[in-house]
Amino acid sequence: MLSFLKKFRACLDQLLLSFCGVIIILLVAAVSWQVFSRYILNNPSTFTDEISRFMMIWLGLLGASFLFGKNGHLAITLLADSLSPKMYVALQIVIGILVIAFAYLAMINGGIALMGRTMFQISPALRIPMGYVYGILPLSALLICIYVVLNIIDLLFPQHPAEALNNNSSEEK
Amino acid sequence: MDISVGAWLLCLFSLMIAFSVPIAVAIALSSLLVMFMVLPVQVASVTAGQKLVTGVDSFSLLAIPFFVLAGNIMNSGGIAERLVNFAKLLVGRMPGSIAHVNILSNMLFGAVSGSAVAAAAAVGKTVAPQFEKDGYDKSFATAVNVASCPTGLLIPPSNSLIVFSVVSGGTSVAALFVAGYVPGILMGLSCMIVAYFIARKRGYGSQADSCPSLKVALRVVWQAIPSLGLIVVVIGGIIGGVFTATEGACIAVLYSFCLSLCYRSLSMSDMWIICKETAEITGIMLFLVGASSIMSWAMAFTGLPSIISDWMLSVSDNPIIIFIMMNIILLIIGMFMDLTPALLIFTPIFMPIALQLGMHPIHFAMMIVFNLCIGIATPPVGTALFVGCSVSGARIERVIRAILPFCAVLIGTLMLITYVPWLSLFLPRMFGLIN
Repeated sequence: MLSFLKKFRACLDQLLLSFCGVIIILLVAAVSWQVFSRYILNNPSTFTDEISRFMMIWLGLLGASFLFGKNGHLAITLLADSLSPKMYVALQIVIGILVIAFAYLAMINGGIALMGRTMFQISPALRIPMGYVYGILPLSALLICIYVVLNIIDLLFPQHPAEALNNNSSEEK
Repeated sequence: MDISVGAWLLCLFSLMIAFSVPIAVAIALSSLLVMFMVLPVQVASVTAGQKLVTGVDSFSLLAIPFFVLAGNIMNSGGIAERLVNFAKLLVGRMPGSIAHVNILSNMLFGAVSGSAVAAAAAVGKTVAPQFEKDGYDKSFATAVNVASCPTGLLIPPSNSLIVFSVVSGGTSVAALFVAGYVPGILMGLSCMIVAYFIARKRGYGSQADSCPSLKVALRVVWQAIPSLGLIVVVIGGIIGGVFTATEGACIAVLYSFCLSLCYRSLSMSDMWIICKETAEITGIMLFLVGASSIMSWAMAFTGLPSIISDWMLSVSDNPIIIFIMMNIILLIIGMFMDLTPALLIFTPIFMPIALQLGMHPIHFAMMIVFNLCIGIATPPVGTALFVGCSVSGARIERVIRAILPFCAVLIGTLMLITYVPWLSLFLPRMFGLIN
């Protein structure tokens, strides 16, 4: 079971990171095109500004969800680092619950309501419903919840005794 | 709104920060909970979700992933090494030579990329062996690198200045970039002065290198020209209004990519790894920006900034004292919090007060970024400090002691920046970017 979860996490990591990497390349392409079309073609593109903003929103939130899995978000860990291993796990579980609470309230609950309201609001240049752009909120919230649960399972059932320590040190970033 | 809601926001936020909750979550969740107190649950959640998205929905912010990407390419693309060689040519024969080389390289690296941590890593790695060869104390060497790497956050291109531009409601990025040169260079000079006196006292690097032959010198310059050309193309283009900061950042990516291809230092698989690393850093930054746009909405809603400004102005209405108070608060915050979150949280609070006292937004930007730059080099939480120590292998406790004289002089320079607006404003005025 635990090894299955490990594989699942590795697949999810790979999928998310590759997707984000592709977005970055597309962003460079889109903005280059914007400069190129303005100066070389003398025909400024109308859609690159909007499409790159939407891609960046997706990139930001997907990247952020991925980082919840790696404990990569900035935190002041002075307290957590000074705790006994048991208390450390307890604190991480409480933090995990807070993260899930935010993801659920603002991003799933609020996000889905927001999607419903903006499905008929069409973006000016690309003519797509804004609801699709806001769709990233529930999607990334789901990913955040999955990662937080996976992290908590790893903490509760360390496969190697060293693993708990590893988690500890990766936190310091 | 009454004071108690604003107080709740502060308490909840500080409590979560103290309990090691990721800063972005602490910002967003404390604001959301405070919104629940005054708004219906559904309205509050929808607003929070919307702010999270609209907060990052800005074309200017797109410059951040691009500058991070360009910095990462330069970091592994052999550009740092060429800049270090160039710096060695310029300042390599003063007392404490390699310390000055390190500082100048950090400034040069800062002038082509926008991140302090990338500079600390790339330059630190390159100069560490030379420090060792010349018999420098390891903790002093690390302190030099750590104290001078934030120059890159003031010297354009700078991600911090872009964040400031977005959070302050659209201050001109071009004007901020031009203004950043003088404070950035002053920061570098302050570090050089400290390094000079310490090196002279301890007799470091007194055995001067022989003067390089003209041929060698010309080759070093020739090798550095393409890297330095980035400054002319990107910053020149942004200041001259040829393209926006975001487009300039995109050009910087293409430029550094082509350069690395020419130097053959980067394979396609390296490139793919760099893209993924960039996605991670971007995720951290953008989520913070989105979360803090929830907080600034909640703050405006609870009237917290005006409560704080009333309190500060009730202590004194003398600008000199208010600016001292701001700087002390920011220095303390900077010790515990990373630059970006601190900038995102405190700009909306302090900027209205500063403007009310007649400070120019550009001058305020220089003051707050310079101040928080000191914070990333100081314990207990300093990203640059951690990276610098891990690159050089020095012990953090010893580096902390070695870095104190640098901090003292930097705080002196900060006072200069705070009370002499001319330093921050004359360059953008000269270019006609502000009136």
